[in-house]
Amino acid sequence: MIIRKIQIENYLCYYANNTFELSEGLNIILGENGEGKTKFFEAVDWLFNGGNSELSTLVSARKLDETKISESFRVSVSMTVEQYGEKSTITKSFLVRKEGQNECSTSSFMIEGIEENSSGERSQVDGQALLDQIFPFQIRKYSMFKGEAELNVFESESALANLINLFSEAKHYGKYSEKGAFLREKAEKAVEDSSKLDKKNEALYRRLEGEILQLEREKDKYKVHLNATEEEIRKIEENLQDAERHVSNADALEVLNNRIKDIEGRISFLAGRIDENYTTSLFDENWILVNFEPFHKEFAEKVSAHSKKRRLLQSEFDKQKGIKEGEKKAKAELLNNAVPLPVGVPSKSHMEEMLQDKICKVCNRPANPQGSKDEVEAYEFMMKRLKAYLESQAVEENEPENEEPLFKFDYINRLDNLCISHEDNMKKLRLIRTQIKELFEFNDCRKKDIEELNEKLEKEKLERERILGNSSIAEEKLIDVLKNYNAWQKDLRNRNEQKIDYTSKLNRVDAELKSKKEEKDKIEMSSASSFLIKTRNILRDIETIFCDTKEKKFEEFIEKLQTKSNNIFKTINIDAFTGTIVFRKKSKVNRIIIEVELQEDGRTFYKPNQSLLTSMHISILFAISELASEIKEENFPMIFDAPTSSFGENKTAQFLNLIYETENQKILLIKDFLHADRTTNSLSIKKEFENVRRNKAFWVKLERPFDPNNLKTINSQVIPL
Amino acid sequence: MAKKDDILKSFLTHELLESKYELLYENLPTTVRDALNSDIAIVKAIALIVDGLDGTSPVTDSVLRNQITQFLNEAI
Repeated sequence: MIIRKIQIENYLCYYANNTFELSEGLNIILGENGEGKTKFFEAVDWLFNGGNSELSTLVSARKLDETKISESFRVSVSMTVEQYGEKSTITKSFLVRKEGQNECSTSSFMIEGIEENSSGERSQVDGQALLDQIFPFQIRKYSMFKGEAELNVFESESALANLINLFSEAKHYGKYSEKGAFLREKAEKAVEDSSKLDKKNEALYRRLEGEILQLEREKDKYKVHLNATEEEIRKIEENLQDAERHVSNADALEVLNNRIKDIEGRISFLAGRIDENYTTSLFDENWILVNFEPFHKEFAEKVSAHSKKRRLLQSEFDKQKGIKEGEKKAKAELLNNAVPLPVGVPSKSHMEEMLQDKICKVCNRPANPQGSKDEVEAYEFMMKRLKAYLESQAVEENEPENEEPLFKFDYINRLDNLCISHEDNMKKLRLIRTQIKELFEFNDCRKKDIEELNEKLEKEKLERERILGNSSIAEEKLIDVLKNYNAWQKDLRNRNEQKIDYTSKLNRVDAELKSKKEEKDKIEMSSASSFLIKTRNILRDIETIFCDTKEKKFEEFIEKLQTKSNNIFKTINIDAFTGTIVFRKKSKVNRIIIEVELQEDGRTFYKPNQSLLTSMHISILFAISELASEIKEENFPMIFDAPTSSFGENKTAQFLNLIYETENQKILLIKDFLHADRTTNSLSIKKEFENVRRNKAFWVKLERPFDPNNLKTINSQVIPL
Repeated sequence: MAKKDDILKSFLTHELLESKYELLYENLPTTVRDALNSDIAIVKAIALIVDGLDGTSPVTDSVLRNQITQFLNEAI
């Protein structure tokens, strides 16, 4: 089957009607990102598999913009194919009615089919039925691939087995192995029923039946365990291989991380030792007093001077005080040391009276200032007493009763003590300068150490970044790698031991089962009808023949597929390392699965790079397609959107030249071989594309100029090259 | 060659027929039609199954079983 034409009308960036006249063999559609390649692929995918949901999102914005409100237009994707000399056209379309500015409603899609025979007669048929007839959906499923990720159709464990069943002869043999088993089981049942009629061996026969059933259950159990263990081993091996690529990095990372941790610890310790609380030390450690000595000297001199003056003043004061006390003493002596009467006795008025009367009325003697010497003395004595009294009265008003000391608060003494105390502290204060100097020197040294350590740390971190840069996994995972690596190795040893254990148990059960079945067969031989036994034996052999043949066909296909895949794989990756594609058949509990892997010297190569992986997947798909062509008489097209993004341009060219050699039709959408001129902002096809062999080529590019922010200006042009 | 003849052929090449039944492939029929007329029980039984499954009128499981067991029980 060949796709002759694909027409896309008003579908997203394909404004109006766009036609791709395709050829047999290799069709290449070039296009820059965002210029219509993927939309082409999606349009074809919509034709094949699309539904009715959100049809309005498939409408060309430009067409909608130029349509008047309440007018309609059609969106359609059409494919014309040629098969057995007849042409068929399948068109999927829907109507769009503009309801308002940027608003539209859509009808449901319809799919029309037109068949045209070799004589040019046309007839309308059911479009969906026609599509399924000319391009069955199981084949469509393996014919369209969008991007590298979708190339791996083998991720699902049964996908490849299904694919092989679909394309290989083995699919014809599946029903034979089923029917063979069915017929054999019925024959076994007939023999068993017949054997049970023989009462002689009935008990033994039933016991054997029970034991066989038990052993078969046991066998199934060990098979499940063995399968699970083998699966585990495969996973662990995969993990180990993955880890091995990182383990040297992980090892180096661990050493570096330890060194970094050690350096950081030392930096932190040194930073902790640096004391830069200078403001606190200024007060708490008396650093503020570092220049106190000259002030202290001045202070001491002043205090000394004050002290001297104070003593002088005190001495003078004491002298005056002594004089006063001396006078008191002298007065007392005048009275012959008799205790004088208190001042004011006799009273002032009595005294004045007595002085007026010129007679002492105490001792009754005359006291006259003009009289005799005794009288004069008496008179003066009384006068003196009166004066003393009067003075005493005056003193009482001006002077405190208790005489105060000259230096009531003794400040000078306190200053003296302060000065002495400072003098005592001066020794410590003189040390402050040295302390400050030493601390600054210490801090400077530590800072220098930290600086050196920081330089070292930077180097180590740079080294760590280099290691992490070389590693494809994140740091946290790289750290785990080493831990996991050791754990996985241990786990692998355990699982391998388990595998040996299950295998030996399975062998034991198998041997036991064989012996029980032989024993049962013996009883049957003697008890059941001979024709039943012969029938059963033949049906047992027929089942074996059917199963073996199915297996053989399957393996033949896999071997062919493997050989073809590897041939294509090596051609795609010419002059480069490839390894070998190996298909492994595995029995799961109730089904067969096929795993595909890349091997390097017989060892599974679990993590090949994307380009190798892509070329491996493409090789298998091409090999399947070739085998399908050999087995069926029919060829089907394959459509790939950007399958080679991880290839370089050279590899892509080699790859395209290889595809050119293959038989069936292929449509490839790629972004290679285009050159963008930055100055003129224009695109052109590179000269290298001339060397790429192809049957037909197109270039899809957006009509210039366009506004990248306005979909209404977007139109992909189809330019045949 | 018809598909059913191809299938029959692939069954008749099985080593068991030679090792256990002492049948040489060269002496065996090459078409289902011939095999249905074979005197060799296992060959005819296989042919009956192929004809039943890939012949012009496919048969049900029980019909197939009756055909085969009846034939084998009588033939041997």
